[in-house]
Amino acid sequence: MFLKYTRAVFAAFKMSYLSLVMDGFFIFATLLMPLIYALIAFGLLRDKGANYGIYVAIGSGLAGLWSTLLFGSGNAITSERWTGTLENIAALPTPLWVIVFGKTLASTMQSLLSMIASYLLGWLVFGYPLGIAQPLEFFVVLSVGIVSFVAFGLMLAPAFLLNPQIQQFQNAMEYPVYILCGFLFPVALLPFWTTPFSYILSPFWTARALQSAAGGTLTLDQLGVDCAMILLLGVIYLGIAALLFRIVLHKARVDATLGLQ
Amino acid sequence: MNNTIQISNLRRVYKSHIGAFRRKLKVVEAVKDISFEVEPGELFGVLGPNGAGKTTTVKMLTTLLIPTSGTATILGYDVVKQADAIRPRIGFIFGGERGLYWRLSGIDNLRYFSALYQIDPEISKKRIPQLLELVGLTDRASEKVEGYSRGMKQRLHIARTLLNDPEVLFLDEPSIGLDPVAARDIRGVVRDMREQKKTILLTTHYMFEADELCRRIAVINHGKIIALDTPANLKRFVQDLAVVEFQVKTLTPQTLERLKALPIVDAVSVEEREQNSLVVVQSPRGAEAVPDLLAQFNGASIQKVSVREPTLEDAYVRLVNQADEPEVSLS
Repeated sequence: MFLKYTRAVFAAFKMSYLSLVMDGFFIFATLLMPLIYALIAFGLLRDKGANYGIYVAIGSGLAGLWSTLLFGSGNAITSERWTGTLENIAALPTPLWVIVFGKTLASTMQSLLSMIASYLLGWLVFGYPLGIAQPLEFFVVLSVGIVSFVAFGLMLAPAFLLNPQIQQFQNAMEYPVYILCGFLFPVALLPFWTTPFSYILSPFWTARALQSAAGGTLTLDQLGVDCAMILLLGVIYLGIAALLFRIVLHKARVDATLGLQ
Repeated sequence: MNNTIQISNLRRVYKSHIGAFRRKLKVVEAVKDISFEVEPGELFGVLGPNGAGKTTTVKMLTTLLIPTSGTATILGYDVVKQADAIRPRIGFIFGGERGLYWRLSGIDNLRYFSALYQIDPEISKKRIPQLLELVGLTDRASEKVEGYSRGMKQRLHIARTLLNDPEVLFLDEPSIGLDPVAARDIRGVVRDMREQKKTILLTTHYMFEADELCRRIAVINHGKIIALDTPANLKRFVQDLAVVEFQVKTLTPQTLERLKALPIVDAVSVEEREQNSLVVVQSPRGAEAVPDLLAQFNGASIQKVSVREPTLEDAYVRLVNQADEPEVSLS
């Protein structure tokens, strides 16, 4: 199924990327927001030792990634509605979730820049040694992590098909993930009952593996477990997203919410 | 013979809430129990004023809306249960400039939609230049759509809708808002599609367009089909009438009321023009009615009076005037 839609995903990715680079808000979400988060975190943690530098750079980079993804997946639907293209693409042979997947992948790839920005800030301004100890492992985890991350965001997109007003609640979705996935501080500091929620979020496993790979403590066992969890959760998210899209698209055809109201 | 489009007792109700605190449910029945069929290769017209239910009907047939009740099949596939089988076989456009990616070039729009239609890249490579040629956009294909005129955007829409070489085309007011030359170009492309034996459902409120292109026409008003026949037969509906036209400088509502009240008048419509108004009166008495009609203008400045044979537009006006008011219920 994935191979069948590869060309459609790439086409949506390309179209979206061309449009995104001309959007001022995405420059803000991609570069400025993570820089602000990193600046605060680096400032607060500057006396905690060099390891925190890597932790903060990865955490704020992933935070930027999540923000972009959250807004990107929602915008993937709402922008199509505003331009009047949602009805055109909703009645095509390619399922809508495949198109949104390609579009969200584009915004996620762009937000990778936010990670690089955080790294550079830590290195240039605060002088943290930000070299990646296990670059190959880091790259592998980042690659699977991004796909899984996108699948996670894709589960939220169907809500935008049902109700255009849902955009107001996007902000409320940002911090729970920052906290539960350990982007800004270790999840060990959270109450024990929150742990299961962290475990079902693939960004948690991605952040954990990336931090270990950057610090040089990622064992082969941990790499296997973390990558398996990222992929497994990613596939589950995709399955849920495809199902939700189907259900919600049917409801949107009943409620007439595909076009502007 | 199997019909390409088969609609039986199709109905669509919109529900929405109004008010912030004591919310009321507003129910509008946009399409009320319509039935018709379109034969293979037929160009079928749906005529009606704004809000008549034309677009809602097209959206149900193109799988974008689910009917409240009734059934519709396209090429034998049910629009609700077999939408996935219908989508690769149809093309559709909705009138207006929206529905394209303005930041991309015309050719990039076509390439994108081609990928989403899952058309083989080798076929796309050949078909896209052919379609650009067909709609006369070859020279402007690499320019961004945001710089296109309304007519060019509409032609790009037509190219987009032909990407998958559809068996059935739904054209919802394709020439709306276009200047006469651009509208004529669009009609030319539609005529080409008809010659290629594609089945086409065309909605419009331009009578001459429907008269020129369609084999049969359904006139729809307030969600109901009020007439369905060939253009020639629809014109016969007003063959007992003649049409008297008055070109008037200033027209008052009272004059219109007086004209409508006359027993010798069947229908009255007004066409506003830049310098004057054209009052079109349908009357069975034709030229004989002119003195009585003139008396109703109370000395207003009449620039021209003419009597002519009725057209399809006159048949349409008569039919629409006879239709009921829309039913909206609040509960």
